[in-house]
Order: sequence, then structure tokens, then C-alpha cells
Amino acid sequence: MDTEDKDSELASPGAMFPDSSMSPLIFEEGVAVNGAEAAGQVQVLPGQRPQKSPTPLRDSLRRLRRDKRAMISLAIIVLFVLIPLFGPLIYQHIGGTYQSALNGRIGPAQYHNPFWQELTNQDQLPSSMYWLGTDAIGRDILARLMQGMLVSLAVVIMVEIIDIGLGVLVGVLAGFFGGWIDQLLARFTDLMFAFPGLLFAILLTSIFGNSADDAFSHIPIIGPNGNARLVLVSIALAITIWPLMARYVRGQTLQLKEQQFVEAARTAGTTNVRIMWRHIIPNLFSVVVVAATLDMSATIIGEAGLSFLGLGVQAPGSSIGLMISDASDAIAVHPWEVIVPSVALAVIVLAFSFLGDGLRDAFDPRSKD
Amino acid sequence: MVQFLIKRFIGLIFVVIGVTFITFILGYFAPGDPIRGMLGNHFIPSVYLSLKHSYGLDLPWYQQYWHFLTNLARFNFGLSFVTQNRPVWDILKDGVPVSAELGLWALTISVLVGVPVGIVSALKANTWVDTVNIGAMLVLYALPAFVLAIFAQLVIVWFDTSTGNTWPVSGWGNPWQYTLSDLQLKIVPILVLAATEAALYARLARNSMLEVLRQDYVRTARAKGMRERTVIYRHAFRNAMIPLITIFGLSIGLLVTGAFFVEQIFNIPGIAQVSITSINARDYPVMQATVVLLAIAVVIGNLIADILYSVADPRIKVA
Repeated sequence: MDTEDKDSELASPGAMFPDSSMSPLIFEEGVAVNGAEAAGQVQVLPGQRPQKSPTPLRDSLRRLRRDKRAMISLAIIVLFVLIPLFGPLIYQHIGGTYQSALNGRIGPAQYHNPFWQELTNQDQLPSSMYWLGTDAIGRDILARLMQGMLVSLAVVIMVEIIDIGLGVLVGVLAGFFGGWIDQLLARFTDLMFAFPGLLFAILLTSIFGNSADDAFSHIPIIGPNGNARLVLVSIALAITIWPLMARYVRGQTLQLKEQQFVEAARTAGTTNVRIMWRHIIPNLFSVVVVAATLDMSATIIGEAGLSFLGLGVQAPGSSIGLMISDASDAIAVHPWEVIVPSVALAVIVLAFSFLGDGLRDAFDPRSKD
Repeated sequence: MVQFLIKRFIGLIFVVIGVTFITFILGYFAPGDPIRGMLGNHFIPSVYLSLKHSYGLDLPWYQQYWHFLTNLARFNFGLSFVTQNRPVWDILKDGVPVSAELGLWALTISVLVGVPVGIVSALKANTWVDTVNIGAMLVLYALPAFVLAIFAQLVIVWFDTSTGNTWPVSGWGNPWQYTLSDLQLKIVPILVLAATEAALYARLARNSMLEVLRQDYVRTARAKGMRERTVIYRHAFRNAMIPLITIFGLSIGLLVTGAFFVEQIFNIPGIAQVSITSINARDYPVMQATVVLLAIAVVIGNLIADILYSVADPRIKVA
């Protein structure tokens, strides 16, 4: 079942070898029971939609629900959001008190704190006290991991706000009006494609990193615990990512503005601004969602990569990339400390890119890959 | 063709100017006075001014940029801020052959592995071979280079501890030499760097091949009673390869960013590692030179791709 599922998702436009042994579709309250085959059915007959499709959006969501890999990814992403937000609150109340040689009696609020160093408990393997063990200076790895996920989440949110905001604004204007905005966008995207994105982010964060530390470290929430550079990291990543979003939006806008409903709106005397706001932008939903999901995976990799190189989150703080970098020095002695953050990063990144692929297939079954 | 080349060349100049300008202006606005930093506690105004002059930092920004550009054209990347009076090129030059070696092998292997895997996947579409290939490609493509590199090191460590071998975890042998000990050091980083690329090529090769196999001329060739081998290798394969050329530039970009992590993790003395060392020492000229060199490598990769593309497919005149 699993293999069939993957086949039908991944097959290219109008796959060469349509599976003729497909069982008929069974619809029940808008949800197909026979997932994989149904997805294949839609793709084998491009242009032909199932008869009972209330709206294109619900149709797409139904296709998405049938995509097992995308749904598992979605579940992982939900966990990726919930764990760093609520995990620490719970984790810091689990566990008994402990007689520390250095710190007296301490409870889970201390030793399950991502910044607490319990120097007598270095490099421990998982136990009932430290669920994922401790690192080289006796900090709880699970607590650090949750803090690192929180950092990833914060960066993703900041980057996506800029990415979607700028990408949609410039993309729609370029697609709708053409002319110099379009030229400028084209030149700018050319430039950003030639300039490997991460290289630019490395340059920006390395030059202004210390200034960002000075400027933001006194601001509550975002400043302390070595997180001051995250704003800079987010801006750097957003600058490298948004041109691609703008390109997708521009392409879609070019198609949309030739559609009859835009023509009709124009005939009715609708202003350009209103056409863009009411008729173009709502129709960009699927393009933006797909691009944003894939960008999120790139953003998480970017933040982890910059932190890995020592350009993101600074010393007392925690980031998945920083955890990998700290632990990679002793990879031969304590491989466990590297395995935990690397596997976590791999799972999160794969979940985002699988969900992105799934969304793309669901919104536009004809343009697979 | 000539018109096309001229147009691409103008585009290339624009991109080079853009890249150098961004690199320059970021360094120009970099906080802190590097000359003051050099002098430390021995601050003598006359020495300060003369040093500032010798680094060209007393000029207005547009003159500094002009110097930056003209010096670049002469392969002169200026002087390092940290190791005083040492030209940047002197610092970088040992790293260039190492990085070039790493990158070229990774590129070669990724094409040699990725393309056949993609083609096989397309020919066996929707079988278990295809499913396995696609799964592997998706994972390799989505995983960042530094996670792959760490996993590779873990495998080496596990191999060493379980068999008592001493396969080295990091380092780089002599450039362009392949004795057994060199190979042991080089093979893993090259494979790690090649993995993402190979997945990219395989994905594209598969999709392109599937697309071509649906074309009428393939059906015609089959209808004529041609052998399947001939149909695939004569008619389908050649046409399927054309779109692959377009991602050549993109793949160079991936190589360059991947190299930053692979060189760092495997402790390879290439230019990316030199650049990271200079980042930590806040030695901006070295960083700027690295960024410009790597960006130009990407630009040239893109240009080669464009030219090859127009040669391979004469219908494409002006992109």
C-alpha cells in the first residue's frame, strides 16, 4: 500500500504507465476511502475533475488528506510547533529533586532548564532524569532541543512574514503592471540566483553579527540568551529567499490577469488596486502556500547552518545547528549528542519539504514535480 | 547566436557588478575601524593615517569601490586586515586547488551517478526500483549538507570502533594525489558533497525522461519497429538531457554552499574553510574575496550552461 501510494504521488505529468488495475473511487462525505488509487485517477485524466467537487479548495484539501506522506509530515510539523511552545512548561515540572554536589538540592525547574549546567552530570546517556541525556557541560539535551526548535520556529515566522509580504507585493506589481518593476525584479532575481543565498547570509551575519548583539541584546524576549542575532539572521535569510516567491507570484499573476473574471471586473469599472486586492491576491493562495512551505524548510536549514558556523545563536543560547556544532567536536566519543539534534533537524526539514510537495500535488495535480 | 552571447554577456557583467558592489558595500559599512584594531594600544596618529592610506580606506566610497573592482580584474584582492601586509590572495591561494578538486570530483560523481539513476527510474517508472530511487533522492535532496556530513562521520566512527580500523574522520591529503591514504581522506567528503547534487540531477533526469518518452517521435520510433534500446538511447536520451544543462549553474551554487559545511566538518583546507577562519577573525577582505570568487564561479557556471543549452537546442535563440 505504501509503495503504491508513493508511486502515484511521484509520477510525472500524466505518468507513462497509468495503472490500469485501479479500483473505483469510493467517496464518503467528500473523503475518498481508497487514497492512493484515487490520487492516481485524478492524475491519469488531467483536466477532468471528479464530478462532485464543491470548490477547488475543498477538492485540493481532499487530495491532500489522502496523501499519507503529507499528512504524516503535517502531524510532525504540528508537533514541531507545539513541543517548543508547551514542552518546556511540562518538562520542567517532571522529575524529583536531586542532591547536586555543586548546587545543593535542585528540582526539574533547574536541571530541565536549557541553560542550567550540572557539571557533575556531563555527557550522560538518556535516563529517567535526563530524557535525552546531557551535553558536554551537563545541560539537558531535550531542554536544549526544545529551545532550539523554538528558535527555528521564531526564525521561520519572521522570515515568512518578510518573504510572503515582499514576495506577494513585488510579484503582483511586477506581474500586473510589467514595465520597470518587472525589469527590476528580473534583474534582482538574476543577481540573487548568481549569489548563492547562503553565501550572502554568511557575509551579512558575519559582518553585522556583533553590532546586532550590541543593538538587540538588551531587548526582552528576543535579546537575551545569545538570541540577539536572530533578527539579523532572519533578515539575511529573507533577503535571499523572497525573490523566488516573487517569481512564482509574478508567474501566477501573469496567468490570472488574462482570465475572464479580471476582464469582467475591469469592464465593470473596478480600479486596478481593487482588482489586485479582490481578484488576484485571493487566487494566489495555493501558489503562496506551496512556496512558503518549501521556503520554511530552506529557512530552517539556513538558520541551523548559520548557527552551525557560529554566525547565528551565540554561546549560552541553543539552536539545533549550534547543538550539532558543539557536539561534533566529540563525535567519536559521544556520538549520541550529535545524533539527537541531527535527526531532529532531518525529520523537521523532511517534513516541511514533503508537505510542500504534497501541497503542490494537491493544489495542482497536473504539475507534479 | 552572437546576439544571444552578447546579451548573456551583458547580463553577466551586470551580475558581477551587482555581486561585487553588494560585497564591497557590506564591507564598507562594516562596524569598527580595522586600522584602529590593528594598532591596538599603540595608537600613533601618523602611523594610523599612513596605514589608512596604504589600505586605501581614506578615499570616498566610490573611489574605494573602483579600486576594489580594478584590483579584482588584476586578481589582486587587497591586503588582509588581520595578518598584516599579507595579500589576501596569498592566504587564499593554497585553498583554491583543494576546493577545486573537491568541487570537480563532487560534480563529476553527481552527474555520473545522478543521471543514470534518474534514467533507470524513468524507464522503470512505478516499480519498486523507481520507488526506492525516488525515496532516496528526496531524502538526499532535502537534507542539508552538514547533516549528511555528520551522519557520514558517525558511520566512519562506527566502522572504526566495530572493526578496529583507523579510517580517518577528517582531513585532506595532498591535492590531486590519490594514494591509498589520500583516497581514504577524500572519498567521504566528495561523496557527501556529491549527494545533494546527484539527487538533483536524478530527479530532473527522471522527469525529463518521462516527459520525452511521451512524445510523438518516440511513439513513431517504436511504431517503426525500432529496437527499444535504440529508441531509448538514440531518440529519448539525447533529448531528455537538454533540460539538465539548465541546472548546471544551480548545481554549482549548491556545491559552493555545500562546500562551506563539508570543508568545515571534514577539516579540509579549502577556500571555504579559510573564509570561515577569516569570519571568526573579522578579516573582511579575505571574506569579500572568497564571496566574490565563489559568486563568479557560479556566474561562469550559469554562462556555460546557457551556451551549452543554445548549442544543444538550436531552437533557443535568446533566453
